[in-house]
Amino acid sequence: MDCGTCETSSPVQLMTPEVVDVNLSISNKAQEMLSDAFGDDRSMALLVGVLSGGCSGYMYDLQIVEDTDQSCQEINIDGFRVLVPNASSHLLDGIEIDYVDRLMGGGFKINNPNAESSCGCGESFA
Amino acid sequence: MRVLELDSYVLLLSGKDCLQFLDGLSTNKVDGTCTTVFTKPNAKIIDMVEVICVGENVALVGHNEFKQDLVNHLNPRILQQDVQMRDISEFNKVYISVERYPETEKVTIVETFRGWIVVAPTSISINATMDEEEFHEHRIDNLIPHHGYEITSASHPFNCGLHHLVHESKGCYVGQEILTRMRSRNNTGKSLIRVEGNPDDATTSGKTHSLAIRRV
Repeated sequence: MDCGTCETSSPVQLMTPEVVDVNLSISNKAQEMLSDAFGDDRSMALLVGVLSGGCSGYMYDLQIVEDTDQSCQEINIDGFRVLVPNASSHLLDGIEIDYVDRLMGGGFKINNPNAESSCGCGESFA
Repeated sequence: MRVLELDSYVLLLSGKDCLQFLDGLSTNKVDGTCTTVFTKPNAKIIDMVEVICVGENVALVGHNEFKQDLVNHLNPRILQQDVQMRDISEFNKVYISVERYPETEKVTIVETFRGWIVVAPTSISINATMDEEEFHEHRIDNLIPHHGYEITSASHPFNCGLHHLVHESKGCYVGQEILTRMRSRNNTGKSLIRVEGNPDDATTSGKTHSLAIRRV
C-alpha cells in the first residue's frame, strides 16, 4: 500500500449533522446526585455526549469535566453546567437526565425522545 | 504463486480513535491487524473486512459491492471521535494468494484465514495467476466463504463460516445481542458445509463438490 499517494486522495464525504440548539432537563433525583458529586464546586461541568458503539450503535458518554477541547454548547440548569458536544447535538435534543436508584443497573439514565430503540442496559441507543 | 485479483475497496482511517471506533461496531476484537465483520442490528452481514494497521493509519479492505453500505453504516457514527476516513481504492489493487506471498517493497501483505491478502499500489504490477474457477475449487476444498457467494447481506456470521470472527467475550456492538443469544443457546442456525456434486442450494459450485449453507 502506498500511503504517500494515499494522502492525496480526497476524504470520504462525511455526514455532518446539523447542529441543534439542545434543550435538556435534569430530574430532581439526578440533581440531588449531581449535587453530591459536585459539592459546592460548580466550576465542574457534566459533559453529555454520544460515542459510536454499543448494541444499538450509539452509546451515551457522561463525564464530569472542568473543560473540554470539543466544540460544545453550554447549558446552565439550576446552577449546573452541562456541556453538549455540537457533533452529537442532533441526537441529544430533548433528553432528560434521570437517576435510577437500584441495586443492579442503577445510576444516571438518559431518557431520549430521539431514540428509536435502546438496549437493555440503557447505555446504547439507535 | 497462485494469486487472484479481488474486487475490493480500500478505506484508510486515521485519527487516534480508529481502532476503538472499529472495535465498537464490529464482531471481532479489533486491537490491531485482524479480520472482522460489520453487522446490522439483526446480525446480518454488512461486510467482512480486513483491518490492516499501516503506521498510524488503519486500512479497511472489503468487498466493493458492499462499500457503500459500510460507509453508510460508519459515517453517521463518527461523532465526537477522532476518526477520518479516505477512500484510497483507486490507488491500490487487492489480491489474494493461496500460498505465502513473499515480502515486496511498498506491498502490504497480511495472512488471513482465507489466504494472504496483498494490497499493492497500482504502479506495481502483480500477475494474477489464478482464475476464479481455480480459486473457487480451493475455497470448496478448504471451506472458505467468499463475498457475494456465502458472505452476503442475507447471512449472519454463523451461517457462512465466520463464527471464528465473532469474539466470545468482547463488549457490545451492533448485532451482538442476537449473535450472543444464538451462541449461548447453541442455536446458530444453518452452517457452511462442503457437499458432493452440484445441488440446487449450492452457494459455490465446483467440479466434484460444492459449498452450501444448510441446517445440519
